[in-house]
Amino acid sequence: MAKKIKRIAIANRGEVAVRIIRACEEMGIETVLLHSEADIKTRAYRMATKSICIGPAASAESYLSIKANIEGALAGAADAVHPGFGFLSENADFAEACKKAELIFIGPSAESIRILGDKVKCKELAQLAGLPLVPGYQGSNQDVAFLLKEAEKIGFPVIVKAAAGGGGRGMKLLKGMLGGKELIESAQREALSAFGSKIVFLEKYLDRAKHIEFQIFGDSSGQVVHFNDRECSVQRRHQKIIEEATSPSLTDDLRRRMGEAAIAIGTMGHYRGAGTVEFLLQDNEFYLLEVNTRLQVEHPVTEEVMGVDLVKAQILTAMGSLILDKRKIGSPKGHSIECRIYAENPFLGGIPSTGNLGLVQWPEGPGRRFEYGFETGDQVTPFYDSMIAKVIVWDETRSRAIQKMIHVLKDSVVFGVRTNIPYLIQILKHPEFVEGSMTTRFIEKHFAESLVEPPLSKSEEKLVEEFKKVNRGQGDSSGLNFSDPKSYMIGEFGRGNLVSHSQSPWQSFWRNV
Amino acid sequence: MEFRTKIDGQEYRVIGQVMGPQIWMHINGRTIVLERNPQRLRRGKNASETATGHILAPMPGKITKVMIETSEIVEKGQPLLVMEAMKMEYTLKADMNGKVVALNCKEGEQVSLGKLLIEIKSESDNKA
Repeated sequence: MAKKIKRIAIANRGEVAVRIIRACEEMGIETVLLHSEADIKTRAYRMATKSICIGPAASAESYLSIKANIEGALAGAADAVHPGFGFLSENADFAEACKKAELIFIGPSAESIRILGDKVKCKELAQLAGLPLVPGYQGSNQDVAFLLKEAEKIGFPVIVKAAAGGGGRGMKLLKGMLGGKELIESAQREALSAFGSKIVFLEKYLDRAKHIEFQIFGDSSGQVVHFNDRECSVQRRHQKIIEEATSPSLTDDLRRRMGEAAIAIGTMGHYRGAGTVEFLLQDNEFYLLEVNTRLQVEHPVTEEVMGVDLVKAQILTAMGSLILDKRKIGSPKGHSIECRIYAENPFLGGIPSTGNLGLVQWPEGPGRRFEYGFETGDQVTPFYDSMIAKVIVWDETRSRAIQKMIHVLKDSVVFGVRTNIPYLIQILKHPEFVEGSMTTRFIEKHFAESLVEPPLSKSEEKLVEEFKKVNRGQGDSSGLNFSDPKSYMIGEFGRGNLVSHSQSPWQSFWRNV
Repeated sequence: MEFRTKIDGQEYRVIGQVMGPQIWMHINGRTIVLERNPQRLRRGKNASETATGHILAPMPGKITKVMIETSEIVEKGQPLLVMEAMKMEYTLKADMNGKVVALNCKEGEQVSLGKLLIEIKSESDNKA
């Protein structure tokens, strides 16, 4: 019973909105971007077939409002909704509201989200199936003093997590009773603001574990398969920074057993579409962490090594026309790494950096892929996540992929806001990362201090002077006002040309390098 | 703007752009940000290096919690308020012992970068 989808409403923003629009364009499907007032100057806004403003900048009144999104999707005459990741993507009420409004929710059923997406219920289910779990407290008592007592029982360090959450939001690490009350409260506040529910749970913190996850997929026939694993051990404040496929630390036996566990939990939850089963791996033992009932930020690395298009597969599944042949899912090929580009100042402890973007360049090349939501002239606002782009590389081996990534990051240019690129390059060069033995404490262990910005070298100082001279000269002759990024942009290349790496006049320049 | 040039026999490719009061440059894989008028703002000088008792907003964002009141005595390192930007929380702490003489923000307020949020005066200053 194939359903027709002619127009998809996108209940998201930034690079993931662009990713969805791209998949839709390929499939001949129109898009309606449901955006906030703050997201006019973004790439997705320009790319979508149609766009509808659904509310003010504050996400609670726009991206997190079920009512606003449903009304927007209906007003845009969409027949399906893609929630992306974050925001309402793991909200069962939203999935249900879509169904009620006769909109196809591109994702699992509301029931699946309720069971698997809720960290507490998911653990109960996993327990029934005999899957290994990390010790913790996941009861309904949310009294801070009580939670603190439970944490003491589990034994510090203990991690506090938002029951409805994901992506590191609302997560805090308790090292002892001291300051514990504030941290739990802070976790509850972050959980409420990010997910609309302040319920948290506790878990013992494994201090030398690796974060390994499996990409699962439930097709239209109800069959659940997996597309192998990703490793995301490089995390800061529980937020992933660098991800790769496949993990350098899994033996064939572990990969098989973890894959089977992932499929088991997905099948029990009647999973449909793209999802991720997260594990912690310590001393060759794995523990189920949680199931993310959505597309994952790091899905491109799986796409690169497995040769699949997960967003397209999601849409086909929603149409009811995707049946996967298990035997045709090959083994992973080569190695892929993703770096998340955050708008932050690495020399000031990663403090968010906002403002108007100047020149932005993501130079193309073999085995390079760029997913970005902002271009020259766009605005990075303080209202949402600071991730402005993702850089993905593929190469035949892990060490070559690391070398390629360092090169690509050095090639990339972002003016107007600071980025974590210098930080990423340092991580990629670290012996523990190169070796592949990093754990989730890697950043805390080796990059706890903010980077020190090296002073300008003699030649850099000379180049700065040279630039000032050339800039003055050119400014005079062309009559362009270089202090205004917009006039520079339009004056020299015309809007759209400069910013798109595929048409950029810079491209021939980079090819010569 | 982009150009190639030779410095001490080595060739460099330079990409640069003037944006308001700043110059942004990309040289050999490194992005450099300079103030056009260096006297106005000393580069690399972080306000937190010297204790002033002036708590400034280190980023644009929303005040989510105010933990102190005017004329409260605070200790160095004591959390004063919690800010949220890009969905992450940041706690601003007192940079010296003293008394809160001014509280210029309230919970739920959106503040801009560099706004003076709290002023602390050292108790010993008052006696002197």
